[in-house]
This record gives sequence, structure tokens and C-alpha cells, in this order.
Amino acid sequence: MMKKCTSSNLRRKLTECIFVRRHATESACVWRLSPKNLSLPRGMSQSWHRPHPHCSPRSSSCRADKQQITRRFGSSSLTSLRPPTKRDLAHFRSILAPHQIITTLDDNNNNDNDDDDELDSYNRDWTNRYQGHSALVLRPQTTQQVSSIVAHCHQHRIPLVPRGGNTGLCGGSTPLSYEVVLSLEFMKDVYSIEPSSGILHAQAGCTLHDLHEYASQRGHLFPLDIGSKGTCQIGGNVSTNAGGQYYYRWGGLHGNVVGLEVVLPDGRVLRLNMPRGPRDFADTMDNAGSFRGGCHRKDNTGYDLKHLFIGAEGTLGVITELAVACPPLPTSKHVVMLVCESYSAVLEVLAHAKQELGEILSAIELMDWQTLSLVRNSLPVAGGTGEALLLDQMLHTNHGINTVYSPSYSQSIPTPTPLYLLVETQGSNSEHDASKMDSFLTRLYEASTISNGFLAADSKRMHTLWNIREACNPAVSRSGYVYKYDVSLPIEEYMDVANEVKERLSSRGALDLFPETAVCVWGHLADGNAHINVVTPGIFRKDELLASHVDELVYGSVLRRRGSISAEHGIGQSKNEILRQIKDASVMDVMVQLKQLFDPHGIMNPGKVLPTDTLLRNHDQSK
Amino acid sequence: MKILVPIKRVIDYAIKIRVDPSKGPHAVQQANVKMSMNPFCEIAVEEAIRLKEAKQNKDDEVVAVSIGPKQCSETIRTALAMGADRGIHIETKGDVRGDYIDLQPWGIANLLKGVVEKEDKVDLVLLGKQSIDSDCGQTGPLLAGLLNAPQATFAAKVTRGDDGSFVVDRETDAGTETIKLKTANVPAVITCDLRLNTPRYPTMPNIMKAKKKSVQVISLEDMVKELGLNLDDVLKPRNQVVEVYEPPPRKEGEFVESVDALVGKLKEKGLVG
Repeated sequence: MMKKCTSSNLRRKLTECIFVRRHATESACVWRLSPKNLSLPRGMSQSWHRPHPHCSPRSSSCRADKQQITRRFGSSSLTSLRPPTKRDLAHFRSILAPHQIITTLDDNNNNDNDDDDELDSYNRDWTNRYQGHSALVLRPQTTQQVSSIVAHCHQHRIPLVPRGGNTGLCGGSTPLSYEVVLSLEFMKDVYSIEPSSGILHAQAGCTLHDLHEYASQRGHLFPLDIGSKGTCQIGGNVSTNAGGQYYYRWGGLHGNVVGLEVVLPDGRVLRLNMPRGPRDFADTMDNAGSFRGGCHRKDNTGYDLKHLFIGAEGTLGVITELAVACPPLPTSKHVVMLVCESYSAVLEVLAHAKQELGEILSAIELMDWQTLSLVRNSLPVAGGTGEALLLDQMLHTNHGINTVYSPSYSQSIPTPTPLYLLVETQGSNSEHDASKMDSFLTRLYEASTISNGFLAADSKRMHTLWNIREACNPAVSRSGYVYKYDVSLPIEEYMDVANEVKERLSSRGALDLFPETAVCVWGHLADGNAHINVVTPGIFRKDELLASHVDELVYGSVLRRRGSISAEHGIGQSKNEILRQIKDASVMDVMVQLKQLFDPHGIMNPGKVLPTDTLLRNHDQSK
Repeated sequence: MKILVPIKRVIDYAIKIRVDPSKGPHAVQQANVKMSMNPFCEIAVEEAIRLKEAKQNKDDEVVAVSIGPKQCSETIRTALAMGADRGIHIETKGDVRGDYIDLQPWGIANLLKGVVEKEDKVDLVLLGKQSIDSDCGQTGPLLAGLLNAPQATFAAKVTRGDDGSFVVDRETDAGTETIKLKTANVPAVITCDLRLNTPRYPTMPNIMKAKKKSVQVISLEDMVKELGLNLDDVLKPRNQVVEVYEPPPRKEGEFVESVDALVGKLKEKGLVG
């Protein structure tokens, strides 16, 4: 069939094939993926990404739309899911103050435009890939308000999307359609931190940055740190079990979250190992008197329910308060940027770091040459900033010359490209740490494991090194359309997936079919967590064919190595259909049963995490 | 060409200073706090190394000198790792504070004058324009006065002429001023401002080389004796710190719910007629 096709013909035929198959079924349909799809011939793959909804904005009166929308939400019991009406709005107005509600439901007043624009930011994720059509945003300030809202929605079958800082990368906090957005942005009180245990008690809407400030002013360190710290909220972080750069040293949220207060989808409030707050909760709860106990690091009394909500992405309940254990604030920090010429050298650095830096090692982050050259390109050519000057030294680029990585050509790229490691230590004694760092660096340099290193002598330069690391994501995202992957791999095979993808995308056949790509890798080396980003520099439109091709390459490669297809970004609405392919049937069944137990009406963040048709099937089976 | 660069170890600029009012003038907490090289001193070290690199003369030397407790040796090592050739550490006892409490610019300038004379044939003394703990900005000018040397402060650009003179662009409120400093038997004294350069990172090759460079350590008492100065004169503060306190916290803003409420509040505070 393909014998006499020219490359442009071939591309057109393939594109037609995919779109014809899409339109043959419903436009909001979902792909069924069978194991054999993983090794489809090149170019003929099905997209793992769901196509965007085609329903008209905000008018859920169209019946065809409604059917599509209902299908997307899944469960057939949810054909009774409905959007909020003016009567619901009136009820919410009796619970909340005017500034806590943003809506276009009562279109009578002329201030529509303001609310329209405000609603837009709630209907979109920050990468602009997902678009919802909510007409109502509620912004409660207390747990009691959250509970009343959720109870009402449960009773009237109104779907909800809990929302924090909207910094997620899988569209988990963006409505699929007309769901009510429940934003916790006004619940930002930090209550207290216990001096001896370091347990910090705060509401779920606090930004991560505020928690860091609060804890460090009181001699403690908040144990989670990620790039979006200025915007993300701790409730969202816990709901997505965010990882971040301190995962290796201080562990994940499952270990550090000591207690949670969560509102279940029927409105009940669960206080799980929580301290007494500044208000007397017993009075404000309907089931007053059932709240007992305090907050302890160790409490083995019954099933530890809080773990279900950590990482549930808002599908089992809304987190409203938390208690997090914070370690004491380290007083000495050292940061160094190392240059390695090969991945085997990187592995040696990792081994030495764990061995010699030992307990003071707090972060070890990998970046590759392609990523850093894109970061350099995003900075002014003249290179006035500290970051730009350092990158010029690190990348061996000449001042002012653009060297965007290109897989197919360019003689100015050093081959093989070097890999960069940011190594940070945090401890309690600056002299000891400096001496450990010194012997660590000396040994590596003398053995030629590292070809160079840049030591940050003061805080300003430490920030510069971290700024370079944190600029990876934004810089790559701004340079073109990004096909983003966040995977867990055995550490020895960390670079293998990206190398495979690079090779396939730079082969003769691929170059004829697809636009030029750059494969960028950065991530948390010690956790085996690689952020693989395939970007088309200069092209900001998604190429469907390329998307499905890269999906197949990356996921196929990761699954062959028994890696995880989502290390820390979660599932949201972008990866839920893959879940059934990668989990055993029994595991899926239990997950679905749990979802039905907590959320029998399916109102809590529908269409996220679990594949959309699982509840449908189960419901039919249970009849 | 020999360039002397005095450097100071101060509390890291990014650290939030903690003030304990019960300790009187010693209110600023220095224990267990991260210390680094004063940012302006870093700029001075960088400039000295650049001047040396511009001439590519093997006999050129950059000497870093610091006065402070034994941890100052770390600061001197950083200067060596950036590219300085040699270090001099005048070691003080651990409780002697350099942040405007014990060691003050007059004492420092006298010590540095002694170092310059002892070193012999120093062509240039490059200092930071001020330190970020005391913010005096006096050490450079005092030193120039004591040495009877030509000086230029707030340098934004430094070039060396073939006749051994230094041409300095200075940043002033009125604009940029260009000054030529002729050096005869005394060194030129230049203090460095922020825009002069961006200090380099110590890289691995230089960190390794720095381990072999020499640092002469001499106690303050011995140095003072050698120079024929009086220890009390050097250590006696010319200015006395009366009180140290934190600035009053910024008052939190108030959220209002409507334009009318905003106008009402503004009227209340008498800001609007």
C-alpha cells in the first residue's frame, strides 16, 4: 500500500486514516487500547490523548452535547448528573458572601464581562491544553462552607472540580464541561507549628511558598519543594502526591503528611489525625462529638485512611486542612553544578554522592545539553544575567550565538553532548559540609569522572544555579509545542528512552514525515524520575501525527522497561485511559469499588484518574 | 604588577538577619548563620583577576588579604579558587566582631596600610565600595588618605594604561566621571561598585589549583606588633553602636469588597477629600 507514496502523500494518508477513524465513532469517544497496539508499525498508532471536547461553550442546553458530556463523565448512573441552575445559585448565595461566587448563570446584570474573564482562568489550565465550560466558581473560606456546598451537590447530582493553584500538568483541576469549580484559594490560614515535633497545621489553600516562609521563620523546613512553589497550593500538592526536588532527602508526602481533614463527596467531614484548631470544630460540625483525638507522628489505630486521599487527585474528596511534619531548618547549604561527558560518569557521581555526601545530600538533579541550550536561548543574547553568563561557560557556546539543538544537523554541537548535574547538600555544620563537598569534588575531578564543576560560594549564586534548573520547564515550553512525559525508570536506564526516541526521530523516514524536534531530558536523578520533553522549536501548534508517534515511542519504551508512565505528575484527564492497560484487572476493580464507595453519585471531579467508562461497566454488572 | 585585594567575611546577603534586642549592640545574631564573602569584595577580586588576565604577565600577582576569625580562611580559599595567587589572613580571636562593633574602618585601614608597606611594590589596592553589614564605605578612602595615595571610588570600569596608570569610570549621581590615577611610589586605591563586573564561579580546575596556593596566617596581635601599632588603638571603635533594632513591620493591607467601600476607607484615612 505504501510502495509508491511520496512522503507528503504518505503523511496525508496517515492523517486521513486517523481522523476518519476518529469521526466514525463519537467525537468525544475514547480509544480502547489493546496490548498489541504497543508495537504498531511506525506512523500508524492511535492517540493516547483524548481529543478536545467539541461542545459549544457554556450552553449545556443542547441535548446532543449533554449526551456527549455525560458519556465523558462515565457512569450511567450519572445520566442524572446535571449542571447548576439559578436555584442552586440562590442556595449557594445563602451560604457564601458575594465575592466568593463567580458566575455567569444569572446573565441579567451587566457586569458579565468581568465574570466572563474571571471564569476563563478557572476553565483553563496553565499550559492552555485543556478547556472547560464551567459557569460557576465557588470560593469557600471554611470547612463548613465546603461541606455544605458538597452536600448540596451530592443531593442534586451536580459535578464538582476541586481546585488549588492550577499548576497541574494533566488537566486534573480543569473542568471537562459544566462542573462547578470549587476553589480553595481563600482557605489560606496557616494555624501553627509545634516547636518540638515540627508539625505544621494549615488550611489547604495556602501556597507552598507561604508555608516555606512560615516554617523557616520558626526554624523549620517545609519538606516539599517544587518549581511552581509561588502558585501551587498545598491541598493540590497533597492531592497529586507531588514529588519535587527534596523527595530523596526528606521523603514524599505519604510520609510527611501526618493528618488530613477531608470533605467526602456526600458532605461528611473526616478529621484524620488532626490537631485541635483555633476554632472549636465540634460546634461547627453536624456530627459534633464524633471528633476525637489529636495529631501524632505515630498512631496505629485502625486503617490509615488519609493515604487514600493523598494522590487521589480530588476524586475521593476535597482536602481542606492538613498537618505536615517539618524537619528542622538546615543551616548550611552548598550547591555545585557538575559537568559529565557520559551517562556512566553520571552514575558514578550519583554513587559517590550517596556514599560520601551521605546524609547531607539533599538534591541531585540532571539536565541535558539540549535542555540547557534552550534555557540559554530563552535568555537575552547579550547575556547580562548571572544565569546567562554561567550557561555560556557551561555550554561552551560563543557569546550571542544561537545554538538550538537540532537532531539532524549542526556542526557546532559537541558530540556526544555533556550532561549536567546540580548537587545540593544541606546540613547543620558549614565547615563539616564544606569539607565533605571538597573531598567529594576532588575525588571526582581527579578520577576525571567530572570534566568541570561550578561551585556556588554564596546564596546569590546558589539561587542562580537553582534558577537554571527551574527554568528548564518554562524555557522548553516557550520554545515550541511540547509533548510532555514524566516517567520513572530504573536509574541505569534513565537516558535510554530519550536516546531511543532521539534516534527514531532523527532517522531518514521520520525527518520526511515530521517537523524537526528536540528531545530534552531533565529530572530527579536519585528517584529515577525523568521528565522527557519532545519539543518542536518554533512551531507552537500540536502535530497530531507526531503526537501519536511520540506517544507510542515513549510509552512503548517505558513499559517495555517496566517503568511508570507517570512518576509524579499524576493522571488527571490526560492519562486516565491508559490506566486499564497498565494495571491488573483486580487492581482496577478495587480502585473502582473504592470510588463508588466514597462517591456513589460520581460528582467529585468526574472523568479524572479513572477511565471514563469503568463506572459504566461496573454499574451495568452490578444490576 | 601586584594587586592587593582586601576581602571581608560577612553574613550572607540573602539571609534574613535575626535581631535579639536583649543583647544590646551585639543584637545581630551571628552564631550558626551562613557567612560569605562580601559581594562588593567578590567584584574586587574578579576585577583584579581580569586585570591580571588582560596583561598575561607571569610576574603579575593578585594577593587576597582578610582580617577576621579563623573561618576567614574559607573566604580566602574562595578568592584563591576564583584565581587569586596568594592569601594573607590576619587572624582575630573568635569573639572580635567586624560588623561595626569592634573592628572598624579606621583600625582596618591602619592594618592594611601596614600590609601594603610590608608587601612592597603594590601597584593597586582594589576594595569593595562598602560591606553589607556595616555599610560604612570608609575603608577605601581612609586607606588612600593614610597612604597618601590617589583614589577613585564607585568604579564602574577600570583599565590599566601602559604607563602604569589606571583609568577609572566612576558612577556618580550626576553621571559618569572618568579619572586617571597615576601611580608613582604609592599604589592607586580603587573601590568597586556593583556594575563593574559579574564575579566568576570557582571552577574545578581552579579549585584544585587553589589547594596548592599559600595563605600566610598571622595573628592580629603579632601583626600589630610587627607594624609598630597599638592594639587598643586598632581595636578601639571610633563610633559606638547605641542600639540595633529591626525596622517596624510593614502594615498589612486591607481587602475591601467594593469600590464604594474603597472610597469610604480612603475618606476615613483622610487621603481623599
